Amino acid sequence: MRLSTSTLLHALGLATVVAFSLFPFYWMVAASFKTQADILASPPVLFFTPTLENYRAVFADAKVFGAVGNSLLIASATTALAVLLGAPAAFALARYEFRGKSDLWFWFISNRMMSPIVLALPVYLLALQTGLLDTHLVLILIYLTFNLPIVVWICTDQFKSIPPDLEQAARLDGADQFTIFRKIYLPLGAPGIAVSAIFSFIFSWNELLYALVLTRRNVQTAPVVATSYMSGYELPWGKIMATGTVIVLPVTIFALIVSRHMVRGLTMGATK
Amino acid sequence: MTFLQLRDIKKKFGEVSVIKGVSFSAQKGEFVVFVGPSGCGKSTLLRMIAGLEDVSDGKLSIDGKDVTYEEPAKREVSMVFQSYALYPHMSVFENMAFGLRMAKLPEDEIKARVLEAARILQIEALLERKPRALSGGQRQRVAIGRSIVRNPKIFLFDEPLSNLDAELRTQMRVEIAKLHRNLGATMVYVTHDQVEAMTLADRIVVLRAGLVEQIGTPTELYDNPSNTFVAGFIGSPKMNFLDATVTDAGVGVLTVNHPAFIGGSIVISSPAAGRIRKGERITVGLRPEHLTLNTDKPRLRLTLDISENLGGSTQFYTTGGSEPVTLIVPGRPAIAAGNALDVGIAADHIYLFDAQGQALRA
Repeated sequence: MRLSTSTLLHALGLATVVAFSLFPFYWMVAASFKTQADILASPPVLFFTPTLENYRAVFADAKVFGAVGNSLLIASATTALAVLLGAPAAFALARYEFRGKSDLWFWFISNRMMSPIVLALPVYLLALQTGLLDTHLVLILIYLTFNLPIVVWICTDQFKSIPPDLEQAARLDGADQFTIFRKIYLPLGAPGIAVSAIFSFIFSWNELLYALVLTRRNVQTAPVVATSYMSGYELPWGKIMATGTVIVLPVTIFALIVSRHMVRGLTMGATK
Repeated sequence: MTFLQLRDIKKKFGEVSVIKGVSFSAQKGEFVVFVGPSGCGKSTLLRMIAGLEDVSDGKLSIDGKDVTYEEPAKREVSMVFQSYALYPHMSVFENMAFGLRMAKLPEDEIKARVLEAARILQIEALLERKPRALSGGQRQRVAIGRSIVRNPKIFLFDEPLSNLDAELRTQMRVEIAKLHRNLGATMVYVTHDQVEAMTLADRIVVLRAGLVEQIGTPTELYDNPSNTFVAGFIGSPKMNFLDATVTDAGVGVLTVNHPAFIGGSIVISSPAAGRIRKGERITVGLRPEHLTLNTDKPRLRLTLDISENLGGSTQFYTTGGSEPVTLIVPGRPAIAAGNALDVGIAADHIYLFDAQGQALRA
C-alpha cells in the first residue's frame, strides 16, 4: 500500500515537471492553430476550432524556406567544422602532455563563461569592418567559437575514457599518431563525437542573438524570420507560433531519435 | 650470443627515480622473467624495452642494434598487455591483422599469417567475433596471437595472466611455456607471481625498488638466494627467518642460539663459518618444505597455532620462540592447535644471512 502511494507521488511529481516543461511548447503549437482572436481571448480558450491559416501564410512566405535553408547550411557547416577541428584538438588534450595545456584548457572554458551579449557589439563592428556582415561565413565563424569548446570538452572526456593501452598496442603495431587517431580514437569515440555534433547543431539551429545582430536580408536564419513578424503595428502571433513550430519540429524529432545515444554519450566517460 | 642487452638503464619520472641502474643481458631464445613486488619497476623496465617509456639514462640494444631512442614499432618487439588491449571495435581477425596492415603486407600474406597464428592458438573459430564476445582466456589467446603474427624479435608479456582465474591461469601458463618451446622465441615476461616465474623462466631477474637483487636460473635462486629478499620472494610458502645469535664459531661450524631451537642452540656446518665472529647476529633461513615431523633428531620445538589441510599435504603455522614458522608436511598428521611440535631440519637446506640480510657464503 505504502509502495503504491510513493509510486503515485513519484508519478505525480514527474507529471508536474513534464507539464511544466512542455506547457510553453503546447502553447506554441496550440496557438499556431488558433485564429488571432482566439489567441488574444481572455480568459484563454481551451477548446477552439483549429485553423491552418497560419501555416498557409507561413508556407506562402518564401522567406521562411530561405531562412530554413540558411539555418540548415549554417548549422551543418558549423557542426562539420567544429567536429573536424575539435576532435583532433580533443585527442591532443586527452593524450599528450605539452606546455600550456592547462592554459589552453582554461581558455576553452572561459569562452563559455562570458555572456554572449557582451561580445555582440564588438563582433558586429568587426563584421562590419571586414565586410562579413550578412554572410553565412560570419555566423559560421561566430558559432564555431561557441561550439568548439563544447566539442572539445565532450570529445576530450570521451577520448580519455579509451584505455591508453590501446594506443600503446597500436604504437607497437606500427601505427603513427594520425593512424591511431583515425583507426582507434575516432571509431571508439564515435558516441561522444556524435553527441557533441548534435549539441553543436542544435545550438547553431536555435541561436537568435547573433543571427539577429549580424544578418540583414540575405542570410536571415529561421529564428530571425520568426521574430521578424513582430514589426510595425501588428503582432501576428499565429504566424509567429506556426513558424516557431516549423523551426522546432525537425530538431525535436531529431533529438528524440538520438536522445538515447546522447544520454549514453554524456555518461560514458563518467561510468566507465 | 647476446640478443637483448640493458646497460645501466635508468628511469626517472620527474624527480622520482624508478629504475636506478639495471644491467642485464639475454640470449636469443631465452625466456626471462622479471619478478618483484608491485612498484619495483618491473613493468616500467619492460615498457622501456618496448619503447613505450623513454629511457632516462643507459643503453638498450636488441640483436646488436642500439635501440635506446628507437621508435617502438621499429624495435620489432611485440607486447601482450595485462589488459590484453584488444581493439574493441575490430574483429579478432582484424585485431591480429592490424600490425601487418600497418606494415603494408600483401592481403594474402596477412591472411596466411593470421590463420597460422589462429591455428597455433586454436582460435580459428573465433576470427569473426568482436573481443567483447570472448571469454577472458580467449581474449588472452587473441592478444598472444596478435604478437605472434608479427614474428617479432622479442615477445614481451606484462603480467598477462593476472586477470584470469586460477585454473585458467595454470592452463595458459603451460601454453605459454609450450609456445616458447615451439617458437624458440626470446621472451621477456613480467609477473609478481613467483610460481609463474619459477615455472616459466630460463632465468629470473628479481627486482626491488628499481634495482636488481639477483639474476639466475630458478634453481639458482631457490638454492642460493643472495639475500633475504630473494630468499623470501622465491619459494612458496615463504621461507622462515629466525634472528639468531652466534655463540661459537669454529672451523666450518657455527653454534647458533635461538629460543626455537631445542636446548636453545644448534650447531650448523657452514663453509662461511670462518667469516663470522662470536656474538654476531645472523638470520637463519628455513624453507617450510625442508622441515620434517617424526624425526629422530628434532632441532626445533614449535607451538602449533593453526593447521591447514591441503589434501595431500598439511601446512602448519607455528610459533618458535616469538617468531612465526611455517612448515609443510606430506599427509594429514592430526595434531591439535596448542601442541608442541618437534621438528627436524634438512641439514643441507639451512640458509644463513648476515645482519644486513646478505647471504653468508664461503
